[in-house]
Amino acid sequence: MKRFVSLLLVTLLVLSLTACNTASKQDTAATTPNNQTATENGGTEQKSGLPVLSPDNPVTISVWTMTNYSAPSADNKLSKLLKERLGVTINYEIIPPENADQKIGVLLAGGEYADLMGTTDLNIRLIKGGALIPLDDYLTEDKANLLYEHVKPYWNRLATDAGDGERHIYVLPNYNRYYGEIVGGTHYGASGFWIQKHVLEELGYPSLENMTLERYFQMIEEYMKKYPTIDGMPTIGFELLCAPGREWVLTNPPQYLAGHPNNGGVVVDENNVATIFADKEIAKRYYKFLNQMNAKGLIDKESFTQTNDQYLAKLATGRVLGMYDQRWAFGQAYDSLVAEGKYERTWVPTMPVYEGCTPYYADREVMNINQGYGISVSCKNPDIVVSFLNTMMSEEWQKLFNWGIEGEDYYVDENGRFYRTPEQREQQNDLVWRNKNKLEALYDNMPKIQGTYSDGNADSPGNQPEEFFDSLSDYDKNFLTSYGKKTWREFLNQPPENPIYYPCWNITLPEDAQVVSQQLTDLALQYLPKIIMADPSEFETLWAQYVSEINKVDVKVYEDAINAGIQERIKNWGN
Amino acid sequence: MEANSAKKRKSVWNTIVAQHELIIMSVPLLLYKILFSYVPIAGWAMAFQDYKPSIRSFWKQKWVGFDNFVNLFTGLNGERFLRDLKNTLGQSFLTLLLGYIGAISLALLLNEVKNTTFKKIVQNITYMPHFLSWVIVTGLVSTMLAIPTSGGIINDVLIRLGLIDEPIMFLSEPKYFWWIVAFSNLWKEMGWNTIIYLAAMTSIDPTLYEAAVIDGANRYQKMWHITLPGIKSTIVVLLIMNIGHLLEAGFEIQYFLGNGLVVEKAEIIDIFVLKYGIQMGNYSLATAAGIFKTFVSIILISIANFIADRLGEEKLI
Repeated sequence: MKRFVSLLLVTLLVLSLTACNTASKQDTAATTPNNQTATENGGTEQKSGLPVLSPDNPVTISVWTMTNYSAPSADNKLSKLLKERLGVTINYEIIPPENADQKIGVLLAGGEYADLMGTTDLNIRLIKGGALIPLDDYLTEDKANLLYEHVKPYWNRLATDAGDGERHIYVLPNYNRYYGEIVGGTHYGASGFWIQKHVLEELGYPSLENMTLERYFQMIEEYMKKYPTIDGMPTIGFELLCAPGREWVLTNPPQYLAGHPNNGGVVVDENNVATIFADKEIAKRYYKFLNQMNAKGLIDKESFTQTNDQYLAKLATGRVLGMYDQRWAFGQAYDSLVAEGKYERTWVPTMPVYEGCTPYYADREVMNINQGYGISVSCKNPDIVVSFLNTMMSEEWQKLFNWGIEGEDYYVDENGRFYRTPEQREQQNDLVWRNKNKLEALYDNMPKIQGTYSDGNADSPGNQPEEFFDSLSDYDKNFLTSYGKKTWREFLNQPPENPIYYPCWNITLPEDAQVVSQQLTDLALQYLPKIIMADPSEFETLWAQYVSEINKVDVKVYEDAINAGIQERIKNWGN
Repeated sequence: MEANSAKKRKSVWNTIVAQHELIIMSVPLLLYKILFSYVPIAGWAMAFQDYKPSIRSFWKQKWVGFDNFVNLFTGLNGERFLRDLKNTLGQSFLTLLLGYIGAISLALLLNEVKNTTFKKIVQNITYMPHFLSWVIVTGLVSTMLAIPTSGGIINDVLIRLGLIDEPIMFLSEPKYFWWIVAFSNLWKEMGWNTIIYLAAMTSIDPTLYEAAVIDGANRYQKMWHITLPGIKSTIVVLLIMNIGHLLEAGFEIQYFLGNGLVVEKAEIIDIFVLKYGIQMGNYSLATAAGIFKTFVSIILISIANFIADRLGEEKLI
């Protein structure tokens, strides 16, 4: 390994040296005239006091970003627009989240970064590793005014200590900073036990109220008996996953079943004290149930050996009846089913709970902290990159990202409402078309206007109520009507006000607690699959083994760190 | 005395002058070796520091003595590390053993083939997989070992032959993992490894075979008494070299095929280092583990060298 690391380091060093030479050359070439323009104009041309981006001074911005979206095609429509209007060319390095952990580790060891770093890492290693610059100086009314507007109300939440005892803003939040009114049809954060629409249709649209695990699996079982194959392939009852980075698919459900919202690995009681639940009764009950369902053949045998890609590919075949997951995480599979017109094979969320518990699957959207774009220390001219991000925050560009080009991707009716024609909606389902006409990979980690624009239109078509309903397929319209609902969101509970500290899953852990957390995850990955796949007679023994292994881990370090985080948030976020 | 040493100096100088082309030619290689093998050793200092990449200067890091090594061998980390050490050695040893038996047998068999075209075809086919990247090979392996509906050809064949009723979940049973590693390596590298043995066999004096035929030796006796002893020194040298690599059990195969179910048999030191060292930003722990690996490798290679010496064979060092 030593040899591997040192080789890697040396290679990286050599590469980064050459890379940074070329990059700096480009940068200076690009930035000098820019600065000149700024001084010639006395810096008064733009209100923001930052260099003006224009096609006369082409710049190249390198972007490293953790996202599930693929890089746009070379002839992308919006890329062209960026070039034509602002002279900006973007170089992408796209990191699928499951590969991010080691990419970050190697990156930090190398110490050379892209200009713009899009991170969703909860352990904020890029910030702590000194990869990002504090943005505080730019976030003012007369510099990056739009970005300032974006973070101003949440300064206390966003300011982070990189380890030097000072709190700065390093990363601009990518999701759930709302403007105007919150409207919407699709709730991407939606967490639930998903069930295929065709199952419900086949069973005559049974009520989904007061759902229990027993009823959920009963529906699946009944359907499987009736349809042992789908499109010639064996039907899969329930799908699980334990791929790196997606372990929570396996570990999160017990807290929901017990009526708690998603706090990651802990449940928090009414005194704001967090404890892990992996070894508690609520967890045991769930895995015992899965164990029995596995014995009945309802759980996919390959669940635990597949990668995230294989999992998504399997979902996209339309033969998976149910799974626990969050909507954003399997979006690709959902989209590709829609692209094939297999609407009946997509899923809606249900909310099973243990008796006496109230479902708390949906939470109020929480603004992401430390997830989004930051600017790296390697960036030669942060002014330009900030100026770029600030421009992207304008309503004009936000609309281009979400709705597209007026008259091409959408129209405006006499009341100023945006809408799309059926053909325009149809092309949005085509993944290849989207790659050519949308910039999802860039936009994913971008600060966004969510909610409504100043003209009252919703941030994106999926959230414009009338557009959402009109854009539904006939199958989906009929499906929603059968349930007396108007949006997918209505399948989930009405979220109460979040506790101040919520959610615990994005509390940044100190190193020792991170190690404990990793150890707990490793144990879950090692034992839970075994426990679920085992013969029901062996369940108790295996469970006891799992619990005794957990007891060997220094859980207290982890719980203490979470509780300290909760207390700190209550103190700092209270206002 | 003085004259003698002066003469010696002179003779050294003469040799240098005489061989100056060779010396000049070796300089780039020497520099390469120093740059890529010796300079990075300076980084070992990290193992004795609490290394934080955010502190850019190497000298401002905090020195912690042997803390990282203690951390590596005690507590839960220690349990895990020792388990992974066992897995590394086990997988490596099995791979080595199967690899040797496979490559030597194939070379012996190929050596007996007199039809050159056939021999070339077999050789080409068997060493092709060497050029595939492990990412592709692990993809092939995981598909082949899957259940029949996902393209698992091995289960399919076994079921059709009536040997098993239910598909075997090869990749979710810890007990199969070492063998999967060993056989994947065998499949990929066997053909390639035969090349060196075949080369060694061509240097065996043909008169030995003729003499053996006159003595009435059959084909198997010729293999056993002439071919094998003829390549013995090659085998030993390769063995010593490979023992030095016993702690390098590969990386990609365990990384791509390992999963929670088989972790107890699949996780090797390199994966441990990746998970608890590099991914968690604990570069010092990673370096400490790396130093330990090098240390063990040196011990292993010395032992092998010593044994080879005792057996009266070629020594490497």
